[in-house]
Amino acid sequence: MESCAQKKKYAAKDYKSELKPIWCPGCGDYTVLNAITRALAELALPPEEVAVVSGIGCSSRIPAYTSVYGFHGVHGRALPVATGLKLARPDLTVLVTGGDGDGFSIGGNHFLHACRRNVDLTYIVMDNQVYGMTKGQASPTTAPDWEGSKLTPEGTGINPFQPLVVGLAAGANFIARVSSSDPINMAKIMVEAIRHPGFSLVQVLSPCVTFRPEQQEWRDTVRTAVVDYTDDAARAARRLMTDDGFNVGKVLYKGSRPPFRPEFENSNGSIAELEARFAL
Amino acid sequence: MSDDPSNSETINTLPELLAHALAMETEAAERYGELADQMETHRKAAVAKIFRRLEQAEKEHLGELTEMCSKVDLPHIAPWDFKWRHNESPEVIDFTKVHYQLSVREAILLAFEHERKAAEFYAGIAQTTTDTEVQKLARQFAAEEQQHIGWLEAWLAECGPGDALATEDPDPPLCQE
Repeated sequence: MESCAQKKKYAAKDYKSELKPIWCPGCGDYTVLNAITRALAELALPPEEVAVVSGIGCSSRIPAYTSVYGFHGVHGRALPVATGLKLARPDLTVLVTGGDGDGFSIGGNHFLHACRRNVDLTYIVMDNQVYGMTKGQASPTTAPDWEGSKLTPEGTGINPFQPLVVGLAAGANFIARVSSSDPINMAKIMVEAIRHPGFSLVQVLSPCVTFRPEQQEWRDTVRTAVVDYTDDAARAARRLMTDDGFNVGKVLYKGSRPPFRPEFENSNGSIAELEARFAL
Repeated sequence: MSDDPSNSETINTLPELLAHALAMETEAAERYGELADQMETHRKAAVAKIFRRLEQAEKEHLGELTEMCSKVDLPHIAPWDFKWRHNESPEVIDFTKVHYQLSVREAILLAFEHERKAAEFYAGIAQTTTDTEVQKLARQFAAEEQQHIGWLEAWLAECGPGDALATEDPDPPLCQE
């Protein structure tokens, strides 16, 4: 067994900032923040070699709560920002964090093309099926019969967006679903997602205790997926056809498509060179 | 999800026991601190005070343990390879089990549940280990957790009947006011 002194260069708390989260007590996002910091500690990544990029929403506050580089960007635009960052600085480990509204509605088109492009990013989506920061409107992943919002008093009547199905079809290279009620396993899957080359999608069922208090029951509803991951996209698709959204805790799909990594052979990475390259 | 005590294995070396204890006490101190921060942010001063007292107690315990571990070469154990009997280390309150309407009584009961799980973890190791040194230290750790349980019982006895009112919310969250 490896000794602690040999391996343990960083503790999870080394990746947390001094800023205290203002999420509601009971929010699943606390667990996600802890899982991210645990995963980074386990990977022993120096904080200055990691960046977390987000859009807008409760879960998009995560960059501020970490000590790594962070970019709290524009609503729905976390993925293009992260794509640019990773292409310009391939040496960085780039994580993208956000919610279901930010990622699948406002940033829906970016999501499709980030999966398709397969840049080496890890996208962690905290899915609570509601816009919590704006006080509880239906989001793309909300069930059609949810009547909790005055804007949709009879429900949306629209089938919810299926992130894993769409991600798989669009070309995501690693797909997993985890629950915030299983924090240690979530960290383990995040380690796998970060290590896997290409675009990794991790959907986290992360309850909004304030505007969707019934989601606290998810803890008892979720079940550990019975089969391990496949590297066959068609088989993964068939599994998703019978999935009710509550199979969690295991990786669904690991592809082997090479990540998009344009070569800049003669680049010295300077601002002057970039200016010269893009000058009109 | 896996929460089955029969999933656990025992511990037969002192470095491994100390690595578990150090992880448990570190995470407990941090979690009580984080819960105190949450409650302070949400103006729940009385509940925050309970979690802060527990954080302080765990930090003191952690200080002694860190001193004890300083002369031992501890093994590195990944978070998912610890021999916990539950989803997280036993002394850690799950983030999703608290709420902004948590009363002092509920906070104490939650802490009580996890301190009891910690004591049971050490007692379980003491019962099943084949190493006498591990058994002795695990019993000592179990007794220390029992001390925390004793404090919590005393704090629970001090809770007045009016504490239940703390769960009432005079200004509940409104969807799209």
